[in-house]
Amino acid sequence: MVNVEEIRGYAAGLLEKGEVKSVLGFRRGSASAFAEPCTLIEASDAASLVWDPTCLNNLALYLVKDRKQQAVSKTPDTRPVGIVAKGCDSRAIGVLLQENYFKREDVVVIGVSCEGTGVVDPRKLSAKLKGRTASRVTFDGADGINVSVYGDGTETVIPAREVLADRCLECRAATPTLNDVVFGETVEARGYNEPFHAAKEAEKVSEDERWANWEHHFDRCLRCFACRAVCPMCYCPECVVDSTTFVVTLGTSAEEKANRIRWCERSANTSESAVYHLTRAIHLAGRCIDCGECERVCPVNIPLRLLNTKLEKEAFEMFEYQAGHDIEQASLLSSFRDEDPNSFIR
Amino acid sequence: MEKILSQEKLREWVDALDDCEVYAPAFADSVWNFARVKAGADIDLSHTNTIGSVKEFAFPQREVFFCFEKKDGVPVLTPTLPDPKPTVVFGVRPCDGRGMPRNDTVFNKEFEDPYYWARRNKLTLVGLACNQPHSPNCFCQSVGGSPHAEEGLDILMTDLGDRFHVKGVTAKGVEAMERGRDAFDAVSDADQAEVEKVHATSRSHSQRPLGNLDAIAEAIRESFDSPLWADMAQHCIGCGICTFLCPTCHCFDINDEVINPTTGEGERVRTWDNCQFPDFTMHTSGHNPRGDLGSRLRQRVSHKFLYFVENHKTQQCTGCGRCITECPVGIDIIAVLERVGQS
Amino acid sequence: MTDNIYLPKIGRIVGINEETLGARAIKTFKVEFPNGDGFEHNCGQCAMLSMFGKGESMISIASSPLVKEYKQFSIMKMGRVTSAFHAAKIGDFIGIRGPYGNQFPLDDWKGRDLVFIGGGVGLAPIWPVIQTAVARREDFGKITVFYGARTSSDIMYEADFEKLKASAEVQLSVDSPEEGWPGYTGFVPANLMDKAPTPDNAIAITCGPPIMIKFVIQNLQALGFADEQIYTTIENKMKCGVGKCGRCNVGKDYVCVKGPVYSWAELKSLPQEY
Repeated sequence: MVNVEEIRGYAAGLLEKGEVKSVLGFRRGSASAFAEPCTLIEASDAASLVWDPTCLNNLALYLVKDRKQQAVSKTPDTRPVGIVAKGCDSRAIGVLLQENYFKREDVVVIGVSCEGTGVVDPRKLSAKLKGRTASRVTFDGADGINVSVYGDGTETVIPAREVLADRCLECRAATPTLNDVVFGETVEARGYNEPFHAAKEAEKVSEDERWANWEHHFDRCLRCFACRAVCPMCYCPECVVDSTTFVVTLGTSAEEKANRIRWCERSANTSESAVYHLTRAIHLAGRCIDCGECERVCPVNIPLRLLNTKLEKEAFEMFEYQAGHDIEQASLLSSFRDEDPNSFIR
Repeated sequence: MEKILSQEKLREWVDALDDCEVYAPAFADSVWNFARVKAGADIDLSHTNTIGSVKEFAFPQREVFFCFEKKDGVPVLTPTLPDPKPTVVFGVRPCDGRGMPRNDTVFNKEFEDPYYWARRNKLTLVGLACNQPHSPNCFCQSVGGSPHAEEGLDILMTDLGDRFHVKGVTAKGVEAMERGRDAFDAVSDADQAEVEKVHATSRSHSQRPLGNLDAIAEAIRESFDSPLWADMAQHCIGCGICTFLCPTCHCFDINDEVINPTTGEGERVRTWDNCQFPDFTMHTSGHNPRGDLGSRLRQRVSHKFLYFVENHKTQQCTGCGRCITECPVGIDIIAVLERVGQS
Repeated sequence: MTDNIYLPKIGRIVGINEETLGARAIKTFKVEFPNGDGFEHNCGQCAMLSMFGKGESMISIASSPLVKEYKQFSIMKMGRVTSAFHAAKIGDFIGIRGPYGNQFPLDDWKGRDLVFIGGGVGLAPIWPVIQTAVARREDFGKITVFYGARTSSDIMYEADFEKLKASAEVQLSVDSPEEGWPGYTGFVPANLMDKAPTPDNAIAITCGPPIMIKFVIQNLQALGFADEQIYTTIENKMKCGVGKCGRCNVGKDYVCVKGPVYSWAELKSLPQEY
């Protein structure tokens, strides 16, 4: 069992010794039963850290955010940042390292093993409760999740596999491979489902049906861009597919602004939303580490993870490539091996 | 007009509204959202609150203002004012109901918005009182509302278990009830007593308090330059969830979408926009008066609890709690207001 | 039926004058209403101009309200819509809706001296005020117009300035030395200090680049102008022009409706988000 006191102690130590400028972790939020991200500056703050199956966020996002802030700061603070990372989160850090977004010495990875369980999917839980909200969510230590329902105070135990996030059910590496320290026991995946299970299930459906499903989902998209905003790999200052992030400085010429192509209009309709989501999926091929954040944050529950895992499955089957598993490996799209299949080049 | 409607007769009433488009909450894709009701038998009022707010019936996410094309070199504009069928929306929670008069104010003010009103005038909102809060983030009573508030609703229904108490609040609401008159029964003294009891109980559930709203407005005014805003927005990802789901956020963008680049044919389109996006206030020069997430969070909160109050004497927040519950990183407007108030 | 506030009228470009060249060129467009559905406006008001397929931009009306036959707009090439304007030819059609915003309270200024201080394209919003004040010359005391441009070839409305000299004191400046330049050499705020107009019974009206406005206001205050005696215009990103879309919102104001004209006293009460 992960002892949260150990994580707190380690984080406090890093801050005390001045080895990091801050530690990214989880704390109890005021808004729900789920934990929220926090940034610790003082060692004494470490007592607020929590660790449980509601620590959903992939905090690697904030490593990217910090980099961006330091890049424009007049007095950049380039000291390392400590980060509490699950297995999937550590892979995100791995991809960022492969892509030279920052250096290994810029980050202290406080790995936490999911010990074969994982985190809860709030939508699955919500569906179980028919839209009701949970006021407390904990593991029962075995295969169940204890839930207190808000309002009437009902206590229920739900089998873990019914409310764990899909990515956790399919997880291949519940222990952070990239780490400076790991808390919790190193375990193999519990193997609720085989890898790429959801993607394989989706593939069984006919092409027409699949398209009809995606049309249905794209039509529901609000274009709030939460999926992109939460993704640590979507670090481009300017997203190619939409105009809300156009980077304009005082030096940008009128021609440059006038001739910028809007690949995707702001209208939320089938075609524009399809362009947005499909382009985003393609741009994450070989980079998505399956933290499932895009799908988690979607307010209308579009199964975005399916798009990404489909491409990860292709990368795995064709090139035996798994994003973020080995930072010594060249990234998928920037490497070529003689034995790589080329049947798709015609 | 006050009536009693048994659970079984609800579908009868809905079927009597056959000349209208009827919408009600439906649970699909793991979320409650408004969906078209084809027949009375499909209606299910066991919902909590919908993920999208009722604003979209008058202010859809995408609205075409007009089509443009060129005829003999001269631009020809064809307005596309909507002409919807009368629309009845069931299951509107009182927080969403209270949102609509606030939106009405915005789309009236100095200039009347014909697209909004073409839809709004055809809209009948049938509310459903909340017998208990759906989430710890419901705070209607802290912003002057109540779980059975009638403001903005045409009809208020109250669930009495095996039957509903149905109250026509506006003439439009009474008319919708008249159309299904055979489905309704008279209200007995016992019914009346029970409604009052249910309402009283619903008000007794504890909600997160906000304290004195005037003091909050003052605190916001005083804290404009406070470093608190940047601190509270530290983990904000700058997405549009809080505003898009909000029953009172009304900001929008207008763009020309060219359909045929050869002929120059296209549409001028309004889409929802969001004060949290980086380009929202950016001038063409690149200068951005609200260039960081802290100032954008401050704008969202100030607009709801200070600026709107200064102009319209009421908060532009009805306590539905969506922005809190759905925020991916736990930004909590109540906690924000608490911290600003204490600063 | 109510008016469709989003439906532009059709305007036709009948004249184009190249004011300045370069990366941020300025052109002045004279626009007529071929369908006879033109509108009246007040000094300081703006209009939403369309290039169909590109979008809309809020542009101040640079012609005097006394001129009824056409409207004039001075447009700097900045982005998508303004670039389309710069590519337009005489005879081209545009969309136009408005007028929007408040106005300079010219009637309140009767009997007072008027000091106009403009820089670059910032002359356009105050130009109709100057034109109207000159047309009602007997209503006002001394009229002084300060205007600065980067070089003498960047001076807007050059021919009109010659005419203006008959009824107003004109103080032109260029940023850096030029051979044969008869006016002041240096920035506008410095020229203002150099000539030091009296604040007694005067109103100062300024518009230009933000940095110029900042120093002009500092200098006006140094000269003894009270906050209530100083007027300027602010601009923010605008989409609807009718106080709904939220982009130009500063404090309790939607600039497109409550602005763009503000006294410095009023502006000080708003958050500095412009």
